[in-house]
Amino acid sequence: MCEVKPNNSAPTEDSGAERDWAAAKVFFDSLKTNKPRPPKPQYAVTIAVSSRTLFDMVAERKIYEDEGLEKYVAYQVEHESDPLLPGVAFPFVKALMNVNSRLRKLYPDSEELFDIVLMTNNHAQVGVRLINSINHYDLTIERFCMTGGKSPIGYLKAYMTNLYLSKDSEKVTEAIEEGIAAATMFMTQTETLSETQLRVAFDGDAVLFSDESEIIVKEHGLDTFFEHEKAFENKPLAQGPLKCFLEALGKLQRKFYAKNERMNCPIRTYLVTARSAASSGARVLKTLRSWGLEIDEALFLAGAPKGPLLQKIKPHIYFDDQMFHIQGANEMGTISAHVPYGIGQKYHKGKLIEQPAKKE
Amino acid sequence: MVSTIQNTDVKQKDADRALVVAVTSRAVFESGADGDDVYGMGVAFPLLQALQRVNKRLLEENPAESLLFDVVVITTDSQQQQQSSRIISSTRHYGLEVSRFCFSSEEDFVESLQKNNVQLFLSTDSNEAPQASQKGVLSALLDRQEAPSEQLRVMFCGDDVNRPDAGPMPASRQAAQNFSAQLGEMRQRFSMSDSPLRIVLVTSHGGRESCGALRTLRSHGVNVDEAYCLAGAPRSPILSVVRPHFLLSDGFSGLED
Repeated sequence: MCEVKPNNSAPTEDSGAERDWAAAKVFFDSLKTNKPRPPKPQYAVTIAVSSRTLFDMVAERKIYEDEGLEKYVAYQVEHESDPLLPGVAFPFVKALMNVNSRLRKLYPDSEELFDIVLMTNNHAQVGVRLINSINHYDLTIERFCMTGGKSPIGYLKAYMTNLYLSKDSEKVTEAIEEGIAAATMFMTQTETLSETQLRVAFDGDAVLFSDESEIIVKEHGLDTFFEHEKAFENKPLAQGPLKCFLEALGKLQRKFYAKNERMNCPIRTYLVTARSAASSGARVLKTLRSWGLEIDEALFLAGAPKGPLLQKIKPHIYFDDQMFHIQGANEMGTISAHVPYGIGQKYHKGKLIEQPAKKE
Repeated sequence: MVSTIQNTDVKQKDADRALVVAVTSRAVFESGADGDDVYGMGVAFPLLQALQRVNKRLLEENPAESLLFDVVVITTDSQQQQQSSRIISSTRHYGLEVSRFCFSSEEDFVESLQKNNVQLFLSTDSNEAPQASQKGVLSALLDRQEAPSEQLRVMFCGDDVNRPDAGPMPASRQAAQNFSAQLGEMRQRFSMSDSPLRIVLVTSHGGRESCGALRTLRSHGVNVDEAYCLAGAPRSPILSVVRPHFLLSDGFSGLED
């Protein structure tokens, strides 16, 4: 799952790619602006956000659903100069930008930065309003894919995407099946979040780790789960869909540590798990250690609700595989993102859901 | 010596309104063994079929439609020029909607393009396309497609769309604008979601500049369907997903960049 960014691009593509890069660099340098140049994709941590996660497009979406595509596009074109309101991924994007400006100060020539790409199904005519809105908020988003209705999956791969955020759970599921870290975001009313530190919170099983242990809980019960985890304490869990994203965050964190900025690091990661520290927690910590990954805070809830704790943490984004936890977190004002992976999708509050036949 | 022959199997298009696209015989047909009467299918075959599909849909929308693709097969070297009867019989064999054949050689094919009011010249030869472009004929290079789509996908390279006009507009630029305006008009005949023709913009600049390109194209009557702003990212991964049939910029451009 982490093979998305190879170290060396294929030799035949180098000259064309280098030419594109050189031409773009000349162009950017010629602009009389101090806007930063976007990083080279193979070194950057690429985050793809959809238009509906970046901006609040609820009203526009209603027009699309009630009146159809042509009326929707006409409406957007008519309101091209009206900036859209910020959406659920907006604080996350601002926090990424803050990390970038800190990184650029410490490493002016490095391409190891966050690269934010707008990946939308929207028609290119709607793109004008999206670009105007992005300019209005001075967001550093330069790369766009407006696919006009086509699936974004091919483009996610082409941009070597490390994380994809969307409101459309079908696209997110497709991305995860293709090995791309992805999550579905839900609208929530949130309090003000930190503007100086990016905070990312992860659930453990079926997010950072595979769902192997969760399967045991669902199929054999908690007691079997505890025994199993104790017995296999020293065997690392298999990786989950968001492991590589945590790894990418860790890589950037270490750049701050290298410059003595550990106490002032603008990235902080949290593990928020229903596991308990006493019985099943050890395996998780040992697994992370075996992967060479650090997490700043590991919170073992032993089954207690996650909502109140997340409310204290105030992450810019919280990843969980179970909709039950997502809803709970959302109700308490936490920006949550659902990772549609693993056995958790077949259950709701511990009960097996009747699955409709899979669409062909 | 140039000769033009009409294909009597195909209804001739309205000379004033049709969009004339010339494709070289070497692109359309693959030369097989000398004994065969009929050539094999060449690199441009999927493109021709896509053009035909657009025409078919245009006529379904309006049986009296005159803004159609008018396809001309042109020979650009003396060797091919000799093969005129084989080219004609192969065209008929496949039932291609080609209205005319222009039999010319290296020396006079550009003149032939101009005489036939060709608005777009497509070739697999990387020398021919710039030659035509220099004389003001919009040209593009054709390449073999791995999984060609049924939908005709035309890609515009947006980096040139907004270039400030320093002096008199080069002939190739005017040709590009005329072609794109007509293509844009053709696109308008179809709905947003169910169209046999798709217009795609790719720019190596960032979003802000590309916004200008989108607006400029719109002002020329071209409503772009898909847009990819690379901001310096390499183009080929995106191209292999977009799979355009050909790429247009100011005058001459190629698919493998």
